[in-house]
Amino acid sequence: MTTVKDNKEILSEANNSLLNHILKTIKEKNPRHGKKITKNLENIGDEYYKKSAEFFNKYALFVKGEGKDVDYGVDCYLKMIGIMMYEQVDFFRTGEYSCKSFEEANKAVYSNPEVMESYMHGLLLSQFLWNHHYKVLEFFIEQINSVKGQVNKYLEIGGGHGLYLSEAMEILGTNDIDYHCVDISAGSLEVAKKFVDNPKVSYRQYNIFDYDEAEKYDFITMGEVLEHVEDPVALLEKLGSLLKPDGMTFITTPTNSPAIDHIYLFRNAPEIIEVIHKAGFEIVKDFKIYSEDVSEKRAEKLKVPMMYAALIKKK
Amino acid sequence: MTVQDVLGQFNQIFIDVLDEEDIVLTLDSTADDVEDWDSLTHIQLVVAIEKHFKVTFTTAEIENYENVGQMCNGVLEKLTAQTA
Repeated sequence: MTTVKDNKEILSEANNSLLNHILKTIKEKNPRHGKKITKNLENIGDEYYKKSAEFFNKYALFVKGEGKDVDYGVDCYLKMIGIMMYEQVDFFRTGEYSCKSFEEANKAVYSNPEVMESYMHGLLLSQFLWNHHYKVLEFFIEQINSVKGQVNKYLEIGGGHGLYLSEAMEILGTNDIDYHCVDISAGSLEVAKKFVDNPKVSYRQYNIFDYDEAEKYDFITMGEVLEHVEDPVALLEKLGSLLKPDGMTFITTPTNSPAIDHIYLFRNAPEIIEVIHKAGFEIVKDFKIYSEDVSEKRAEKLKVPMMYAALIKKK
Repeated sequence: MTVQDVLGQFNQIFIDVLDEEDIVLTLDSTADDVEDWDSLTHIQLVVAIEKHFKVTFTTAEIENYENVGQMCNGVLEKLTAQTA
């Protein structure tokens, strides 16, 4: 069994690793945040170090192709953290998300390529810098493995940075599978296209409510999109209309997670489950994890963000 | 109210928010000295301090405060400005 000390040693000994470089840079530029993420990465398990090394190497190549380096990504990440801090302050003062409408989010973020590119790099790095993001990715990989061989047509909605699509393609393969990625933001699609770097994917810029497809999908992934809309039940119903009768869907959404473009506030997991049921889905398997290693009681008291993930199918 | 009075009240707020009974703050205390004081709990602490003293910090102040003394003096300045 790996102890806290073992993992700390792994972190400190791998001085030349990209992970360590990134953590060191974050600690220098934002010590309190560096402390938080380093603490949360303790006890994460040996597999993380292998998988994160692969990811950060892939990320380094990706940004190199853009004429940039990993420090560009770290700057984007810290910029995102700075913006999130403003939103968190507002959230803890008022108990509400500041962004009230889709139009507001669209104007400030999705239709602004510069903001979106920086945001996508920040979010992409967070997948391996935040314990709870990484654990949800592991859960996703487990679910995708469970449907291997059953998927001919795959859709990702709000593909963002492209990491989930990239993982799905690695597991399911690319032979005889149609991959589609729909996102409202041109900036986001550009990042995903370059990160996934596979010609088998068809990228389509749509508001998902305006998107349709004659032949329905076997599997749809929609990570962290429900909180970006005013009516999450309507979004899941739309998703259901794109799915084959026996198709499966993987969704994630956070609670108490203020961000510049988060509109719908889920305060706890039961509220999310209620939305899933209202939209005509049943839960096959779900997983929830708080962003901090605290008891459920303290997490609720301090409104610690939680990520909820589920494999769902139509009732 | 003196800075020591503010510090005493800060100590209780830190104990309540961080759920650690044995916290003993000094004006020089930083996040390095208090185990659970990180970027998320920093915001929770600041908002709890705002509610307790009925003051409001600017986002720049929240971001830039590096130790307890700066935060205590920030509160004192705001309280003094309110009564002026």
